[in-house]
Amino acid sequence: MLLECRNINFRYPGNEALLFQELSLVIDTPGFHALFGPSGVGKSSLAKIISGQLTAEQGAVRYHNDGRVLYGYNLERLPGWSSVGRHLERVTPAHHRSLKEALIEAFGLAEVMDRHFSRLSLGQQNRINLLRYLVQDFNALIMDESLANVDEKTREQILLTIKEMFPDALFLYISHNVVEVAAFCRQILVLRGLHKMPRVVTVQGQDRMKGREIDRQGLQQTMLEIMNAA
Amino acid sequence: MQRNFPWCSPGAIGLLVLLFCLLRLDVGVSWAEQAVAYRLKWLINMSTVGDVYAKEKGLFAARGLAVDLRAGGPERDAIRELELGHAHFGVASADQVIHALAKGSPVVVLAQLFQANPLQWIYFKDRVRIDALADLKGKTIGVTFGKNDEIIMRTLLARADIGDRDVRLYSVRLDYTPFFSGRADLWPVYINSQGVEIGQRLTAAGESIGFFEPEAHGVRFVANSVVTSERLLAEQPELVERFMSALLAGWRGALDPANAAEAVALVRRYDQDTASEVLQAQLTATRPLVQPMDGPPVGHIDIEAWQQTEAMMRRYGQIDRPVNVAERLRR
Amino acid sequence: MLLRRIYQFMMIYGLGVLCLLALKMVADLSDYVIPGLDTLWHTFREVAWRYTLDVWDTLRVAMIGQVLSIGLALLVGIVGRQATWFGSFIKVAAYNVQAYPIVAIAPIIFILLGDGFLSRLLIAAMICYFPLLLSVVGIMSQPIPDIEHFYRQTGRMRWQLEVKIRAFENLSKLTTVIVGSATLAMAGTIVAEFIAAGAGIGYSIRIALYQSDLAKILVALFMIGITLSVYQGVLERAGHWVKQVWSG
Repeated sequence: MLLECRNINFRYPGNEALLFQELSLVIDTPGFHALFGPSGVGKSSLAKIISGQLTAEQGAVRYHNDGRVLYGYNLERLPGWSSVGRHLERVTPAHHRSLKEALIEAFGLAEVMDRHFSRLSLGQQNRINLLRYLVQDFNALIMDESLANVDEKTREQILLTIKEMFPDALFLYISHNVVEVAAFCRQILVLRGLHKMPRVVTVQGQDRMKGREIDRQGLQQTMLEIMNAA
Repeated sequence: MQRNFPWCSPGAIGLLVLLFCLLRLDVGVSWAEQAVAYRLKWLINMSTVGDVYAKEKGLFAARGLAVDLRAGGPERDAIRELELGHAHFGVASADQVIHALAKGSPVVVLAQLFQANPLQWIYFKDRVRIDALADLKGKTIGVTFGKNDEIIMRTLLARADIGDRDVRLYSVRLDYTPFFSGRADLWPVYINSQGVEIGQRLTAAGESIGFFEPEAHGVRFVANSVVTSERLLAEQPELVERFMSALLAGWRGALDPANAAEAVALVRRYDQDTASEVLQAQLTATRPLVQPMDGPPVGHIDIEAWQQTEAMMRRYGQIDRPVNVAERLRR
Repeated sequence: MLLRRIYQFMMIYGLGVLCLLALKMVADLSDYVIPGLDTLWHTFREVAWRYTLDVWDTLRVAMIGQVLSIGLALLVGIVGRQATWFGSFIKVAAYNVQAYPIVAIAPIIFILLGDGFLSRLLIAAMICYFPLLLSVVGIMSQPIPDIEHFYRQTGRMRWQLEVKIRAFENLSKLTTVIVGSATLAMAGTIVAEFIAAGAGIGYSIRIALYQSDLAKILVALFMIGITLSVYQGVLERAGHWVKQVWSG
């Protein structure tokens, strides 16, 4: 067991209805996993509970050996007083400098390092934001729509790079793109509506890696399973 | 089809009749007494005892006038209100009248309430000795820059040939701390109001105080007078007559020693912060200022004093042309 | 920006004077109630230089008072931004104290401190301090989650960084508040001078009021308006410059 949520009960202050009731899920292995589900079902809320930003009324979240879980989302901004490159320099631990340079290259961001965050496109902004999380020390990273507004080809390249460079870390990728999660993720945790039981259904993904072609039939099967589960 | 006329219902008619009766009643009061607005120069205190007496004893009402006695203050200007039609009569100091005349205001002086200016300077006798004007030399003297006490003091200093370098004029504030603490040697007070109150307090504290009186040194600067507009005087002379007759009767009544207790009680209705004993002493101090022993009758206009006031104001640049104030005094 | 402020003031002032002159004509009022143009011009020539010096004197006090207020408001705002009991206490105290009319305390200040520079400064600072404080506390206690989230997640958030983020993100608002507080500081100083001081344009207005000289008061208002417009324009430009430099 790497990450376990057991019997989570949660509701937002002022709301009578529970968002999660007796919700449980388990992830056993590191790698690239997905949290999938329709809008408003509580994916971001669950991510915040897992990363410790929100506290459940009842239940427990446990990470193996109390590892460090980070949560990044696509609307984050960098401070406006310095360039992107300067900001990355400041927030990158000394032992990850070469990692940072490699990621800048792989994410196609070398040209924007001297620009200010507000002057980048939305796709560039999201890539920069994801990059600064990747250069931190972490055991698990929740990527909440972190590649929104990034074109498909670049997104594919980034996902494959992450999987290759961080084989021992746990990623929980929140996305609405069923093809993407089916193709790249090892496990897809499908979070379902409040009245469906169980709340979370796990579907095995295709877990595509660099240099390995995907099985089209398997992909279609996975997508079907995801849609059925949702 | 039935048409509704709610305003024709008996209830509505009754209401209209009642409303009409009420309005009629109100109008009836207005018809019986003519409303008159009278703006005072300062807050209602012993310096307005005659005005209060005339109102409270029904002297105005007896002449068919419903007078609204309006307290004044530093931001009030009776002459401006006369011209704007907000008041029928007012109280203004001579310098205000002359300033207004210099700027073409159609103001007329009806009566001079104070025959002697109550403005004097208080001093501690153990610190300062003033026997003659020349003794002002080297002193620190409180004046309110821009007000008549500045002109009076400058006239006194000029008479004694004391230049700006020989004396220090200290800007007067709302409190007496500079005087009490010795930063100023002389401090302006109205002898019949603040003079009495502070004098009593200091005397009780064992201090020996004196008052420096400008008139004793030949400087006569007219103080409060009753004013109205030329237009009102021309269009309603009979109203002016009734008002002045009631007002002067009020002042005579208030200053009559036989009515002293009543006059104090009437002023106290408006000035509840001042003790009756102090008001009594203030009345005693006010009497010779308004009605000097063997002097002219209450309200007498001292033309010479007005002319001297105008001359002083011209000399110190307060007005840039003669206004012939004597022509605006209703004798 | 600067010129626009001056134009705007000149237009409003001109309109005001025109309205007064129209009233004077319609109601046939004397120069004593509303001065004519020639009287205004004559008075302007007579007192303009003296009043300019007076306004500068007032502005000097207002500026120092404003700087003190900004410093103090930032200090208290930074402390009061925290969701601790002390932060809440500071906020509640600030909201309650600011409801008290400073002008009512002014006479006590004059009695205790005399009628010199210090009293004027204190009243000016107090009058512009509380609205400033409320704005600064509001700005400083409002998180910028999109930026702060990363620093909190990675354990890098320090109070200095938090203040820096919130100040940077609200720089335009802060500039507007500071520009607005310039009017309050000036008004505070004038009120102080009007009540009891012995210098400054407020004192001159008081004397003009004693003399019932509306022409002098109108000239004083003109001088105050022009000076304040320039000062506010300079503050706006300074805010703009700071933002440009800070944003690279």
